[in-house]
Amino acid sequence: MSGVVGRRLRKLDSLKKATGEAVYADDISLPRMLHAKILRSPHAHARIKKVDFARALKHPGVMGVLEGKELPGKYGIIPWTQDETALAVNKALFIGDEVAAVAAVDELAAQEALELIDVEYEVLPALVEPEAALADKANVLHEGNKHGNVTKHVDLTFGDVEAALAKSAAVVEENFFYAGSTHTPIEPHCAVAQYDGEGNLTVWSSTQIPHYVHRELSKVLGIAPARVRVIQPFLGGAFGGKSDPFSLEFVVAKLAMKLGRPVKCLFTREEVFWAHRGRHPMKMRFKVGLSKEGAIEAVDSKILIDGGAYSSFGLVTAYYSGQLLTGPYQFGTYHFDSTRVFTNKPPCGPKRGHGSVQPRFAFEVALDMAAEKLGLDPIEVRRRNFIGQNVKTVNGQQITSNGFLQALEAVEKASGWKERKGKLGYGKGLGVAGSMYISGTAYPIYPNDMPQSGIQVKLDRSGKVTIFSGASDIGQGTNSQVAYLIAEEIGCDPRDCTVVAADTDLTPVDLGAYSSRGTFMVGIACVEAGQKLWALLSQAVGEKWGVSTEQVDASWGTFRGPQVDQQMSFRDAVQLTEAKFGTLGATGSYRTEKLGGDYRGGTIGASPAYSFTAHVAEVHVDVETGQWKVQRIWAAHDCGKAINPTLVEGQIEGSVYMGFGEAAMEEMTYYPSGLHKGPSLLDYRIPTSVDTPELSAMIIESVDPKGPHGAKEAGEGPLHPVIPAISNAIYDAVGVRFTELPFYPGQLFKMLKEKKA
Amino acid sequence: MLTLPPFEYHAPMELADALALLQKHAGKVKLIAGGTDLVPNMKHRLFMPEHVVGLKQISELNGVRGEGGFLVIGAMTSIADLARNPRVALLFPSLARAATAIAGPQLREMGTLGGNLCLDTRCVYYNQTHFWRKALGYCLKKDGTVCHVVKGGQKCVAAASNDTAPVLLTLGASVELASPNGRRAIPLEEFYVADGVANTVIEPNEILTKVRVPIPRAGLVTGYQKLRIRAAIDYPSLCVAVAAQQQADGKLEWVRMVISALGSKPHTVKRLEGFQGRALDAATIAELGQAAHRQCHPLTNINVETGWRREMIPVFVRRAFAEAMK
Amino acid sequence: MGVFGRPEKQLVALTVNGERHDVALEPRATLLEAVRYTLGLTGSKQGCDKGDCGACTVLIDGKPMLACLSLAIEAQGRAVTTIEGLAKDGKVSPVQDAFDVCGALQCGFCQSGMMLSATALLAKCEKPNREQIKDALAGNLCRCTGYTQILNAVEVASGQRSVAERDERPTTQAQAAAK
Repeated sequence: MSGVVGRRLRKLDSLKKATGEAVYADDISLPRMLHAKILRSPHAHARIKKVDFARALKHPGVMGVLEGKELPGKYGIIPWTQDETALAVNKALFIGDEVAAVAAVDELAAQEALELIDVEYEVLPALVEPEAALADKANVLHEGNKHGNVTKHVDLTFGDVEAALAKSAAVVEENFFYAGSTHTPIEPHCAVAQYDGEGNLTVWSSTQIPHYVHRELSKVLGIAPARVRVIQPFLGGAFGGKSDPFSLEFVVAKLAMKLGRPVKCLFTREEVFWAHRGRHPMKMRFKVGLSKEGAIEAVDSKILIDGGAYSSFGLVTAYYSGQLLTGPYQFGTYHFDSTRVFTNKPPCGPKRGHGSVQPRFAFEVALDMAAEKLGLDPIEVRRRNFIGQNVKTVNGQQITSNGFLQALEAVEKASGWKERKGKLGYGKGLGVAGSMYISGTAYPIYPNDMPQSGIQVKLDRSGKVTIFSGASDIGQGTNSQVAYLIAEEIGCDPRDCTVVAADTDLTPVDLGAYSSRGTFMVGIACVEAGQKLWALLSQAVGEKWGVSTEQVDASWGTFRGPQVDQQMSFRDAVQLTEAKFGTLGATGSYRTEKLGGDYRGGTIGASPAYSFTAHVAEVHVDVETGQWKVQRIWAAHDCGKAINPTLVEGQIEGSVYMGFGEAAMEEMTYYPSGLHKGPSLLDYRIPTSVDTPELSAMIIESVDPKGPHGAKEAGEGPLHPVIPAISNAIYDAVGVRFTELPFYPGQLFKMLKEKKA
Repeated sequence: MLTLPPFEYHAPMELADALALLQKHAGKVKLIAGGTDLVPNMKHRLFMPEHVVGLKQISELNGVRGEGGFLVIGAMTSIADLARNPRVALLFPSLARAATAIAGPQLREMGTLGGNLCLDTRCVYYNQTHFWRKALGYCLKKDGTVCHVVKGGQKCVAAASNDTAPVLLTLGASVELASPNGRRAIPLEEFYVADGVANTVIEPNEILTKVRVPIPRAGLVTGYQKLRIRAAIDYPSLCVAVAAQQQADGKLEWVRMVISALGSKPHTVKRLEGFQGRALDAATIAELGQAAHRQCHPLTNINVETGWRREMIPVFVRRAFAEAMK
Repeated sequence: MGVFGRPEKQLVALTVNGERHDVALEPRATLLEAVRYTLGLTGSKQGCDKGDCGACTVLIDGKPMLACLSLAIEAQGRAVTTIEGLAKDGKVSPVQDAFDVCGALQCGFCQSGMMLSATALLAKCEKPNREQIKDALAGNLCRCTGYTQILNAVEVASGQRSVAERDERPTTQAQAAAK
C-alpha cells in the first residue's frame, strides 16, 4: 500500500553509528562504577580445592571479590541441559574457564588483583580430543551425566538407506573434517550492572538474547524477574556469539548487589575466545548414492561433534547436523547418526548457520564427486534433484515457497557457467553448491504457549510513532525493518518512527536474534499490530471523508482519498482517530503453528519457511605455491521478499564473507594440553579487505505465502554454500579435492605435489 | 581492555638527554618509537619497564638524506614515509616493497625503521598474554626454562620477523648506534645474532640513530618477497630478499640473498662466491634458489606449516629475482 | 606518588577535533582510553586490545593511526581527529553519508575506524581505484559486511559510483509540514 517495503532505504539508526553517537555497552559509564575482571583456570580440567582472596583484597583499589559458591545456580540456554555456573563451583573444565572475580576502581587494579588470588587446584587429566572423551568412561567432565561425556546422541532413519545405496548407480563414501571457527564480532562482550536502592537490578549487556538473560539472571541471582531489567544497547556484531547467557552478566550483577555500586566487565579479545560458542568441529563420514539419472537415492552420515566443555545449544546442534540437510534436494532415503561430545576446550555453540554448515560442506562436495562418476554437470545434478515447492522433506519438514531453481539459474548465468566451465585452463575453476536454511524455529527454546515475538505501537498526536520491539538488532537492521513494516501498514513516514528495542522493562518479549527468526517472526508481529491500527485510522479518516475504509490510502505520511482534495497528513489522521477512539496503541504477536515430523526430534529443524541459496565460486590457483584466490563469488539467495534490498544484500555478502574466511584461513586450534594456540585477532586470522573476493549478491524473491510480505530469512542461509563451492572450484581448477577445512595453501601445495608424484 | 602497566614517561628533546635517561634508569627502562611492538608487548606483560623514554621529539632521528655515497635514513622515519619516499623507491625498490608489505596502513604510519630493525623476536609461545603464558608454563624467552619449539632446546629460537632487515642486509647497510660514550657504526650483518632472547648486539645504553645504505651503482637489481596467509596485517611467515650487482656485460659481480622469519637471525645465504661472473639467467636463479633451500630450515615458532615455508624458498627466490629484473 | 602507588598523573593537553582538553592522565593511558573514558568520545572503539583490528583508528595530524597503541601523552601537540570530528556545522561528511546510504553500517562497531581510514585516503587521493581503496582499508577488520558495501561507499563518497539506482524518497512529514 505505501511503498516502503521493497525500497532501498537508509536504516533508522545508521547515522548514529556513522557519527559515533550510538552507545554500545562499553560506552556506558555510570557514577561510582567499578570494573570487574574474571580469574580463569590455567588448567583444562581441574578440581578447585580452595580460593583464597586474602592477598587480592589487600591490593590497592580492590573493592570486592566473588567466587563460584556465591552463585551456585546452574544456567544454560537450553532448559534441559543447564550445566554452567557463573564461576566454577567444583571444577574448571577448560583453559579459560571462569573461577573467580574481582571488582576494583579501575581495570588495571582489577587485572593486577587477579594475579593475587590464590587458587588451589587438583589437576585432572584433560580430554581434548572428542574420540578420547567418548572412550573415557571414568573421567567424566560433568559428573553425574548418565551418558558419560556425551551431550547428545541422535540417530534417525528415513526409509531403507541400505537398499537404496545398493541399487544406486554411483556411490560416494568419504570422510570430511570441518574445523572449528569462531564468530569474532569486533565488539568484545561487555556488561554493566546497577542495583538500585529499591531492589531493582538493571543489566546492560552486549547480548543478542535479552529475554533469556533476563530469565537466567533472575533464577541464578534469586531475584524476582519483575525486579530484573535487561537492556541491550547498540551491539557490535554477534553472529551467534552472544546468544548464550555469559558469566560476565552474572558477575557484574552479583558484584553490583554485593557492593552497592555499578559494575562493568569488558572482556579482552582473548576472553572472547574463551567465551567462544563458535562453530563445532565435526568429523563426518558421508555416503551418498545417486541413480544413473542422478537422483539422490540415499544419504547416510555419521558425525562426531566436538562440543567443548559445556552444552550451550549442543542438544540442538546434534539435531541440526542432520535435520537441516534435507533440501533443496529430494532425498530418496536418509539416515544420520550424530554424537556431540564434551571435551576440555572452550564451549562450542551456534555460529551463523548453526549446526548445518558442516554437513552441508560434506554433502555438497560428495554430491559433486558422485555427479562426476556419472558424468553429470554439477549444476545439472542439483537441478534434477530440486525438491519443489509446497512439499515435505524426507524427514517431514514442510517446505512452502522455494526459489532454489531461480537461484541456481541466476548464478549459472552470472558466472557464465555454460560458456566457461571446463574451459578456463589448468589452475582456474568454477564450483557450485546449494543450501537451505530455516526462518526461525517453530518451537521456542523453553516450552510455553505464549508468542515468540511481540510488538507494541503507540501513536502520538504529534504524528510520532513509537514502536516497542523486543527484538535484538545486532547490526542486521531489525529495528529499521520493524519501522518499515509498521510504516507500510499505517502509512506514516518510517523516519517518524522511534523504535524502543530490546529492553525487558519497556518492550514485549521477543526470544532473540537466533535461528534467523527476526524478519519472519518479528515481521509478522509488526504486520498484525500495523493492521489493527490501520483499521482505526482508515475508519476515522474514511468517516471524515465519507468514503469506505478501502478507499482510504496512505503512504509516507500522507492520507489520500478518491477525490483530489481528499488529502491529509498522517498527524491529522492520528488526531482524528484519537478523537474518535481515544488513546491509540496496538500490539501484534507471532505465534508458532504446529510443525515438524511426527517422531522424537521431529520438531527440531521445523521452520515456518525455508530460505534457499546457490553459489558459484571462481577460483584461481597459484600452482607453484598452493595459494588460491577466489576471483568472485556469485551468491543468489531466495529470501522470499526483500523488505529492504540493500540490507538483504548486506546479509548475503556478510554471510559469504564469513564462509569464505572459514574456507580460507580460520581455525580454532589447540595444543594437546587444551590451550588455544592463538586467541587473538593476529593469530586467529579473519580476512581483510585485500583477502576478500569480489562478491555478487543476487536476490531471488519467491514470495512466501506465510512470511510478512512474503519475506524469509537472509542472514544465515547464504553462508552455507560458499565452502563447498570453493572446494568444488579448486577441484575443477587443479583436480585435487579438499575434504578438510581450512583449505590451507600449504596443504594444497602438498596435495598437488602428491598428485604429480 | 588489556591495560598497560604503570610507568614514568620521559620525552627528551635531545639524543644526549635520551642517552642519559637510559643510563640513569639502566635495567628499568625501554625506548618507545612508534609503539607498535613495545605497546602490545607491554600489554602482554612481556616488558614492565618503570620508565619509558619517547623518541618522537628528537629531531635528529628523523629524515632521509643523501650523504656522500650513502642514503642515510633516520631511525624515526616512519615505515609509511619510507614506503612512499621517491628516492627509496628509485634506488632500492626492494626496500620500498618490504616497507609497503609491513602490517597494515595504520601500523605503517606509526611504526619506524629503527623500531622495525629492533623488533623483538616473535614466537607463538611468547607473543601472548600473561595468563596464556602461565597456562602454557612459560618459555625460555620469558619467565620460564623450557623451549616449546625445540624440545630440550637451551637457546631461544624466536623468529626475526622484521621485513626491512633482510632487505637492508642484501643492500650492505650499516647502522649507527649512539651511547654516552660516543657513536659507533656497524654493518647490519654484524648487528644481528642468533639469540632469540635478544637478537641484536645493541647495548642497553645505546640508541639506534640511523641507517646508512650505500647508493648503488648501475646494474644493481633488488627484490623482496613475503609469504603470509593474509595479504595485510600478518607478520611474515617467510621473507626472501635478494640483491645482485651486474656488470656492464650482465655478468654477476656479486649476489646476496637473505632469508628471514626462520630463526632468531635473518639468514644470509652463504657460499655464493661461485656465482660471480655468471649470467643472471633462469639456470643461475634456480641454483640460487636451491642454495637458499639447502641452508634454511623453518621452525614451528610461527604458526604456518614449516614444510611449506621451506618449499616456498626456491619459488620466492625466483619470484624475487623476476621482480628485481622487471 | 600517584594513586595506588602508581606514577603521578600528568596534565596532558590534547587537541581533539580542534578542541583543546587539558586532562590529568597516568602516563600509561593510551590515546584510546583517554578519548573514550576521559573525554567521553566513545565513537572510537576497541576490538582487539593491541593493534590487530583497526577499530580504534583515529587521525593524528591527518594520518590514520591506532589509538590503542598510542600513548595519550605522546599525542600532545598533535591534531587528533576522531569520528566525532568528521561532521562539520551539523552536517555529516560525504564519507559518513555514503556509508549510511550504501548499507555499509551494519553493526557499526568497526566503522568509525573504517571511515577515518577512508577519510585519510580521500584526503590524499581524490579518486582512488578499488584496489587502492582495499589497500587503504586493509588494517580495518569488518566482520559484518564482507567489505563490499564499504568499498562501494568509498566509491560513492569519491563521486565514482552513483546511488541513482536507489529509490528517491518523498520528503519527510516534517519537511511537508514546514512547507
